[in-house]
Amino acid sequence: MSKKDRVSSTLELRGISRHFGPVKALDGLDLTIEPGELVALLGPSGCGKTTALRIVAGLEVATSGELLVNGQRYNDTPANARDMGMVFQSYSLFPNLSVADNIEYGLRARKIDSVTRNKRVAQMLELVALENKAKSFPHQLSGGQQQRVALARALAIEPRVLLLDEPLSALDAQVRGQIREEIRRIQLELGITTLFVTHDQEEAMTIADRVGVMSHGKLEQIDKPITLYNSPATPFVASFVGLANRIPAEITGQGKAKVLNQKIKIFESSEIFSAGERVNVIIRPESLELVSEGDDEAVRGIVALKSFLGPMTKVGIAVEGMPLVHLNIASRDVRKLEIGDKIAFKIASDEVMAEHV
Amino acid sequence: MGVVKAHSRVRSSGPGTGVLPLLPFFIFTSFFLLWPIVAVTLRSLHGNENEWTLANYRPILKSGPYFHAFVVSIKLSLVTSIIGSILGAFFAYVIVKYARGKFEAVIDSVSAVFANSGGVPLAFMFVAAFGVEGIVTTTLKSLGWDIYADHFTIFSFTGVVMVYSFFQIPLMVLVFKPAIAGLRREWEEASTSLGASSLTYWRRVGIPILFPSFIGAFFLLFAGGFSAYATARALTVGTVPLVPIIIGTLVDGNVISDQANLGDALAVGMIVVATIAMAGYIWAQRKTAKWRSS
Amino acid sequence: MKKLALKWPLIIIASSFAFLTFVVPLYGAALYSFRGEGGKGHSWVNYQWLIHADGFYLNLFTSLKLAVLAGVLNLLLMVPTMVYLNLKGQKFKSLIDFLCILPLIIPVVSLAIGAQVAMPEILQNSEYELVFFFVIIALPYTYRALDTSLQTVALKTLVEASRSLGATWTRTIIRVIVPAIRGGITGALFLTFALSIGEYTITSLLHWETFPTWTVVAAQQNILGAIAISVFSFVGAIALLSIIALFSKKGARQVEVDE
Repeated sequence: MSKKDRVSSTLELRGISRHFGPVKALDGLDLTIEPGELVALLGPSGCGKTTALRIVAGLEVATSGELLVNGQRYNDTPANARDMGMVFQSYSLFPNLSVADNIEYGLRARKIDSVTRNKRVAQMLELVALENKAKSFPHQLSGGQQQRVALARALAIEPRVLLLDEPLSALDAQVRGQIREEIRRIQLELGITTLFVTHDQEEAMTIADRVGVMSHGKLEQIDKPITLYNSPATPFVASFVGLANRIPAEITGQGKAKVLNQKIKIFESSEIFSAGERVNVIIRPESLELVSEGDDEAVRGIVALKSFLGPMTKVGIAVEGMPLVHLNIASRDVRKLEIGDKIAFKIASDEVMAEHV
Repeated sequence: MGVVKAHSRVRSSGPGTGVLPLLPFFIFTSFFLLWPIVAVTLRSLHGNENEWTLANYRPILKSGPYFHAFVVSIKLSLVTSIIGSILGAFFAYVIVKYARGKFEAVIDSVSAVFANSGGVPLAFMFVAAFGVEGIVTTTLKSLGWDIYADHFTIFSFTGVVMVYSFFQIPLMVLVFKPAIAGLRREWEEASTSLGASSLTYWRRVGIPILFPSFIGAFFLLFAGGFSAYATARALTVGTVPLVPIIIGTLVDGNVISDQANLGDALAVGMIVVATIAMAGYIWAQRKTAKWRSS
Repeated sequence: MKKLALKWPLIIIASSFAFLTFVVPLYGAALYSFRGEGGKGHSWVNYQWLIHADGFYLNLFTSLKLAVLAGVLNLLLMVPTMVYLNLKGQKFKSLIDFLCILPLIIPVVSLAIGAQVAMPEILQNSEYELVFFFVIIALPYTYRALDTSLQTVALKTLVEASRSLGATWTRTIIRVIVPAIRGGITGALFLTFALSIGEYTITSLLHWETFPTWTVVAAQQNILGAIAISVFSFVGAIALLSIIALFSKKGARQVEVDE
């Protein structure tokens, strides 16, 4: 059951839409997941990411569009014939069956003989490191253990595609990181094409090969995590992925704006701005730097907040006319800084993203 | 400092310590609930000359009209609880699957009302509808179906079963619906995505999980059907031999028995049967609690 | 998907069944009660008879009186008990839980016989003995209603807050706890009331006359009139219990908002 033994599948969504009357849960989603790739769909609740996953699984039907697995159209295939492994957010283990019985459930449904079944179950238990829990029941396991069993159960049937619906959201923060790493490790080891849905951007960014940011049923951008972070395509992506400050500015010309005392360039994006328009520019905390008050381009304010984060400290600066501005500064540089101190900062990057107000 | 003081004031004894505040309750239930049960049990063990004896129980355990009454009572309870549990489970399933939300709240209230109905008004209502001159009877007659042609009357065993179903079915819906609602959507979806058919899901997961609740509810219906008095009284005095009714007739003095305390023995017999049924209910409740923690 | 194909047939079957089982008898009885003199036509004649029948008001009053007393006694006994139980008396919880389930297990008939054997003369000579037994019969529902209500309220916190502000125990119960469990209290009160008004078994076996037992006797004289009474009682009971259902849901929600 290693990478060499299986053929990984390609998962393709073409123009998938799902309407509930006037409401569009999904609006023309185009997405291709390459064999062995882990793609995360990231977005706030209601953005359509779970709907997309459930359509792939066959638990919901698309109102239009095509679903293809290895080039084969799957729209009309019933959910129980799709050979996809699904891990739910919580409570999906059958409570009346033991861990081993849960894992072999899919195998029994496929009428696989008991010798093969037992072997596979043992393999799966080893994969998720729960060999000694074979005879336990779900209610005797912790949340993290339950999700590992759910993963084992989904993988036992050797699915073409692995689908995960916010599998870590119901777990304690501590356990979340561990299980997340295990999922990724197993996924890489098996080379299985995977679609992972989450609302937690840190989760998506750490685990995925590519992340697709969704909003209101549409895919705003899909790219490698670092690209999303550094080159967000829209204001929504910029603010959803990583922390963002919104600072008022004025458009001075094509691709140029004036942010308080500083002239700055604007990213090219799908948004169109007119000269003189008031906008917000979106700036990451690490793109702002502290300067001396004498600097011409500096924005002056008062320290309102100081949060120690370890090597970095988050400093919140109150400036007239705008929401609190957050900067991340090396902790040793701000050791002497107190709340109420006067302070000045300016934008340290060449280009920033702007959005309409 | 002030905070510490207030705290220690709170921690000092409340409206009495230990069992004292609960005494009124214990005294009340002991006197009006436990003592009557003990008293009737004691008297059932005393014969006509006040001696200790088991003679009162013999007519029940030997074959005869009293034994027969127990048989009929149990049969009635069994039939109504089977009908009630199966139909009630069916309704509960349809409601949970297709009628959640506001409409469900209405159904809940209506079920609560119907489940607690019973007694004389219910009996008379059925007489009005299905009696010899009842509205439904005459309507059906005019359509060509004489329900009284085959020795049926509303006062027969079958008639009583019909009437009991009016409250047994809603009671089942009330008690069993939460169990069906407790079947998580994820289980059926997980089963489907693992490749199993609907039938397999029900066979391996759904029904095994529901079974204890179902049996528990069944026992509850059984106990209720067995103990019902008012409805039976209004419908069957004389026509169908039921233990509660016989007790009533003995108390009224309409029937005199050799054994003065036979009524007590019958009453105790009823307690025994009902207790066995409720034990079944409680056992089933324990079983479901085990899974609920997951 | 295949599921849709099952949906409507099931709903239709269930609805028809429900209609036949529940609506038909109710409607039939209601129609019947409106039968005119000599069984012809429609009129209010039976309901008029009902109101003028000998004993209607007397027995209705008796039932109402006993029901109100039972409701009040029930609350006086159970509210402090349940409050204390949830605050400090945790170790008695399963015992009291069991005692309150007992009236459901013990057939009412048996309890009635027991009452006849056990109750002292003074009690047996007064119809007020029924009040005590009505309370017993209502115990399971009272316990459940009050317990559920108390669980949703942060009882310990409320009490500690009230006490730390200087209130006495009585004050705390009356002004803080009771309003908080309003829903449970109302539910328990109405249920006791409804049960007491309709109680037949103990009343009849102990040879007292209340509205339900009078109905049966009256039926022997005028079956149509008796049926009118029954429909009237039934509709009344439905109305009463519907109010309970509405109230208990409202009460619970109000508690959440207040917090």
